[in-house]
Formats: sequence, structure tokens, C-alpha cells
Amino acid sequence: MNRVLLADDHPMIGAALDVLLRGTDYELVGRARSGADALAQVQRSKPDIILLDVNMPDGTGLDVLRELRQTRRPPAVVLLTAGMDDSQLLAADGLEPEGIVLKTSDPALLLDCMEQVRKGESWVDPEIAERTRQAKERASRAPSLTPRERDLIDLVRQGKRNRDIAAELGVTEGTVKVYLHAIFDKLGVDNRTELAMRAAELLGRPV
Amino acid sequence: MFKYQSGRVIALGRVILAALFLVSIWFDQSQPAQAPERTYGLLFFYVLYALGIAALTWRNWWLDARLAAPAHIIDMAVFTGIVFSTNGYTSPFFLFFVLPLLSAAIRWGWRETALTATLLILLYLSAGLLVTGTETFELQRFVARSGHLVILSALLIWFGMHQQFTRLFIGPDELDRSLGRDEDPAIQALRLAMEASHAGCGALVLGEERFVGMCLSGGAARSLRIEGVLMHDPAIGLALFDIDADRAVTRRSDRRYRLLRSSRLLDIEALREIGAAQGLISAVRTGTEQGWLVLWDIPDLSLDFLELGDELGRAAGAILERGALLLAIEQGAAARTRLSLARDVHDSVVQFLAGAAFRVEAMMRGSSTGAQVESDLKELKRLLIEEQGEIRSFISALRRDRELELAEAVEELKALASRLSRQWSVDCEVTACEKAASIPIRLQLDLQNLLREAVANAVRHGGATRIHVGVDVDDDRLELLVKDNGSGFAAGSDEPPTEPWSLKERVDRAHGSLSLFSKPGCTDIVITLPLVGAPA
Repeated sequence: MNRVLLADDHPMIGAALDVLLRGTDYELVGRARSGADALAQVQRSKPDIILLDVNMPDGTGLDVLRELRQTRRPPAVVLLTAGMDDSQLLAADGLEPEGIVLKTSDPALLLDCMEQVRKGESWVDPEIAERTRQAKERASRAPSLTPRERDLIDLVRQGKRNRDIAAELGVTEGTVKVYLHAIFDKLGVDNRTELAMRAAELLGRPV
Repeated sequence: MFKYQSGRVIALGRVILAALFLVSIWFDQSQPAQAPERTYGLLFFYVLYALGIAALTWRNWWLDARLAAPAHIIDMAVFTGIVFSTNGYTSPFFLFFVLPLLSAAIRWGWRETALTATLLILLYLSAGLLVTGTETFELQRFVARSGHLVILSALLIWFGMHQQFTRLFIGPDELDRSLGRDEDPAIQALRLAMEASHAGCGALVLGEERFVGMCLSGGAARSLRIEGVLMHDPAIGLALFDIDADRAVTRRSDRRYRLLRSSRLLDIEALREIGAAQGLISAVRTGTEQGWLVLWDIPDLSLDFLELGDELGRAAGAILERGALLLAIEQGAAARTRLSLARDVHDSVVQFLAGAAFRVEAMMRGSSTGAQVESDLKELKRLLIEEQGEIRSFISALRRDRELELAEAVEELKALASRLSRQWSVDCEVTACEKAASIPIRLQLDLQNLLREAVANAVRHGGATRIHVGVDVDDDRLELLVKDNGSGFAAGSDEPPTEPWSLKERVDRAHGSLSLFSKPGCTDIVITLPLVGAPA
């Protein structure tokens, strides 16, 4: 039997996977509802495979995956997701999980994926693979930004005001405004809200 | 007739003072003390000159600007002559001293006023010295009057300095009172400028080399597009112009007038195209844009409109800035609401359907191996009906176009508690204070989600059988107290209670706070949420 840990904060998913794995070669050895809980349970229950939801409180699935990549003999990771934005797709691509399954795809694909992973191979949902390819394309098309402009976008994304940004970058508020307008023009965004919301896509990297 | 017409006021004042002085000397047998023929001649020509200046400049701001400095010098020269010829104690020269001083204070600034005062005092002292020793000269009166002149000069210099800091300023509060919130900010700014200047037509264009904006003419608004550079000299932000006469006046940084050809200064073709032959153009700057305010068909255009235009340009910038700020706030609120709704749908509907699909897959696999799936199907049916109810109440809340009274919100929470009681086989009760409060839609959705989460936590992790939810309001906060009889969040007596993360995350997103008091057999969760500031 392959030991499986499920990390997903939604009760319906947990109960459903519990039922789905019954009578298979997989034994559900634990359930975690947060990122921190998942890491603790990995230490305790030593699973072979961890089914990891991407969006969880107290540490996302990607945070957990990042941590696990630092450990010796980590379990195989199958990311379970109902949808990822560009930055998450790019981050996941960089972390190379053994499997990625869309919750909205045919549920049979999860068992197919787990089977491949069990054999030591990797399996990525075709839709996720295509969206990752598109995200990489968009990232490569992202206009070139100076390091200072990238810093400024990061600060805008954090919801900081011009005054705070100016203090942090050691410039005047007027200079921040000038920078922002140059960035708006360069990236074709209309305002700072749009800039903050599209920061990951525009920077071409996860934030 | 005299609003924004300081040129007229100065010209009229000059005429009245000249005539009054001539009449008073005519009736005063003791005057003029020196050179009577030349004094009468000087005064007679001065009256004619004053009438001429008034007639020429009454409706001509260009000549007013052109003649301002020469007329000022002539006024001072005449003053010196009068002091020289009417040095007796009955001399009403004092009036003539006031005219150039006031003119300088009104037209220019404190520096010109100070310069005029210094020159006048020096001229007065020189004229006084010239008549020293004559029988009509009184030293004591001369010294006293010199003192009066110095004091009056100091007052007018202060007035000139103070005037620069008492310009029209339109702050956000004043704008809120005077302007509607729904109108396009560009039209608001234009209407305000047109009303203040009594202009029949106006345009507000924004851009750098391609200006887009509005034109208001005869009460009708039309959009406007101007290609090119409207003002050739970017350093100049304000001018009066007369395209037909090819004239323009602007101010230097030292506030002195600068006379120019309008064809050299402005894109006269663009102005002619919008029908602005004679009027005022003022720069408009906001934090993100810059452009021009053009006003024409102004009945009594005068040099004062240079000052007014500066203020109107700044007011227009403030209105546009305010409009942009309100738009950004609205967009931000809409974006937050959109994201929040997307998250709710993702967290509930998408996750539920995904879970249901996994269960169906499990049942299909089970049935293929001959397993009984009837109980699983019943369970799935129950879950689907419950979820349907949740989605229905979610949609009802979204459809509502007003905030709820606290009593209404509590009734909905009670209905939800009743459903949750059946779902989790638990005794769940909601009670509330009888205070009045308005509950925004977003807050009500958060309350419902928090209640679902709290009940699920209490039953699943604490094995609770009784849950009591209390709702209270205090000023601008709502307090939700969830008390259950479960085993609590504490894993062991030596360990601190673990936080209910899913609840904490929801509370954080709603800008609230959560406190947890947990021991075996009793868990209290106190959630405080802001009543105001929650997006609708």
C-alpha cells in the first residue's frame, strides 16, 4: 500500500477523496487543513505521496512544496488545484512537483496521475501544461523593466502609498509619480490597482 | 462693472482725484504756493490725461497692460510737481500719494509697492527740501507728514505681501459642497471656471501634444480634440489673448506684464477652430495629467483675469484630481468586491462541485466492482441540496440593493443556524442584542461564511454538540461570540491552543480580529468585524 497524505482545507474535497481512495492501492494516512499542518504531518506520518491543495491557509501548497524540496527524501507531491494564476503556474513549474491535477478535470485523472507518480514518473494535467506554456510566453513578452521599476511595482503590489514608497526608495513623492507614469505607459496599464493586480504577469515571474 | 476690473478702478480713481484736486486748488486762494500758472496747467493736462487713460483702457486690457507702467511713472511725476507747488499745510497732495501706492499694490506686488513708496518718499523729501525756507513751509508739519507717508507705505507693502497668500483656494471639502458627484470632473471644472469668469464658452483639454477634452458653448457640451502644441512656450502657463489683433499678455515671474504676439505664443489655428478669438488660457496640472483651460466670450475681460485664470487653472486641476481619486477609490472597491466574490465562488461552489465529482467517480468505481453505492448516493444528494440552499442565500444577498438592518441579518443567521443544526446534527442557536445597525452585504456574507466555518470546526475537530452564537454591536464594530461545548482547540494541557486558521483567514480578509479562549468542554471564539468600511 502507498501511504497518502491529503492536505486540503475544503471539507467536501477531503471527504470525497477519502471515499475515492477506498478500495485502491492507496492508504490515506492523514489529513491536513493548512500548510503548517501539512508539513507537521509529513514529519509524523512519512507519506509516499502528498496530495497538496494549492490554496490553503497558513502556508499555501506552493509554500509547502518549496519547504519539502529542501528536505531529504521528500514524498512525491501531487498538486491539487481548482485554478492557478500565472504567477502560481510559473512558481509550480519551477518547483517541479511530480504531479499536477486540476480539481475541475475528470476525477479519474487523479488516480491516473497518482499511478504515474507511484511509478516514479511525473504527470501534469494537459490543461495546466498548456496554461503554463502560455504563462511562460506572456512572461517572455513582458516589457523590459529597470530594477528600480521592478522594485516600485513590488511596493505598489504590497499596497503601499506613494509617500511610503518614496521613503523606502529614498526618493521624493514626485519622483515616485514620474516613475509610476512611465511604468503605466510602458506596461499599458491604466492605474495602480490594475498594476498591483497584474504585477506577477507584468513582471514575468512569481511574486 | 468693477468685478475683476482693477484697471478700471485705478483709471477712474485717477480721474476723480485729479478733478477733485483741481477744484480744491481753484477754491483755495492760498494755493498754488509756487508757480500758479504752471501748476494749473499741469493739473488741467493731468485731468485730461486721466480721462484719456480711462477712456482708452476701459474696455481694452491690452492698452491697460501697455500703459500701466508709463501711467504709474507719470502719476509719480505729477505728485512731485504738486508737492513742489502746493507745499502749504492746506495742500491735499496726500491723496496723490495714495494713488500710485494703491495702484502698485493692486496691480503688482509688494516689491513694486515698496519701490513706489521709496521713490515717492524720496521725491517728497526732495520737493520739501526745495521749498525749505519759504514762508509757507512748516518743518513740523513736513516731518509729521513724512512719518504718515512712511506708515502708510508700510501698510500698503504689507497689504501687497499679504495679498499673495489670500488667493482663491478650492479645497476638497468646498468642492464636495459645491459640485455634484455624478458629473464628469472635466465638465465640473469647466462649469466652475465659466461661472467664476462669466465666460460664455470654455474648453478644457488634457494631453501633451494631442489634447482631448470638452467644450461648453451655449449650454451644450461637445468633445474636443486638438492636435499639436497649444502653447508654444511651455514656461508660460497663463495668458490673455486676442487672436484678431495678434496680442497676448502674460505675467513674468516677478508679476510684471509681458506683452507678446498671440501668433508666436499660441496655436491660434486650434483656438480659432474652437471659436476662441479673445480670451484667457491657463495651464491645468494634476498629478497625472496636464492640459489647458481656455475661456472666451468674457464680457469684461481685464488684466485681473490673469490672476483669476491662475486660480481657475489650479481649481480645475484640483477638481480633476478629485475626480481621478474618486474613480480610483471606486475602481479599487469594485476590484476588491470582484475578487472577494470570485474567492467566495471558488471556495464554495467550485470546491463543492470538484468534491462531488470525486464522489461520483468513487461511486462509479465502486459500482463496477459490485459495491453498494446507495448510501453514498443519498449522502451526495443531501450535500447537493444543502449546497443549493447555500448558493441561493448567497445570490439573494448579492441581489439585495441595500444594507440590512441588524434584525434582518440576524434572522438570516438564525435560518442558517437551523440548516447547520440539521447538517451537522448539532444544537446551534443564534441570539442577538436589540440594537439598531446597518449591515453591509459583504459583511453579511462574511458572517454567514464565518458561522458555517465555526460550526464545521466545532463539530469536526471538537466534537461539539451545542453551539451558541451571540451577535452584538458596539459603535462601529460587530462582535460575534461563538461558544461550543467541544473538546476545544488545545491539543494538550501544556500546549497553547492552535488557531482556527480558516476562520482567522476570513476574519483577516474582513479587516477584523479574532480571539480564542479554549479548554476542554468549552471554547469561546470572539470575532470583531468593522461595521463601516466594508465594501458593499
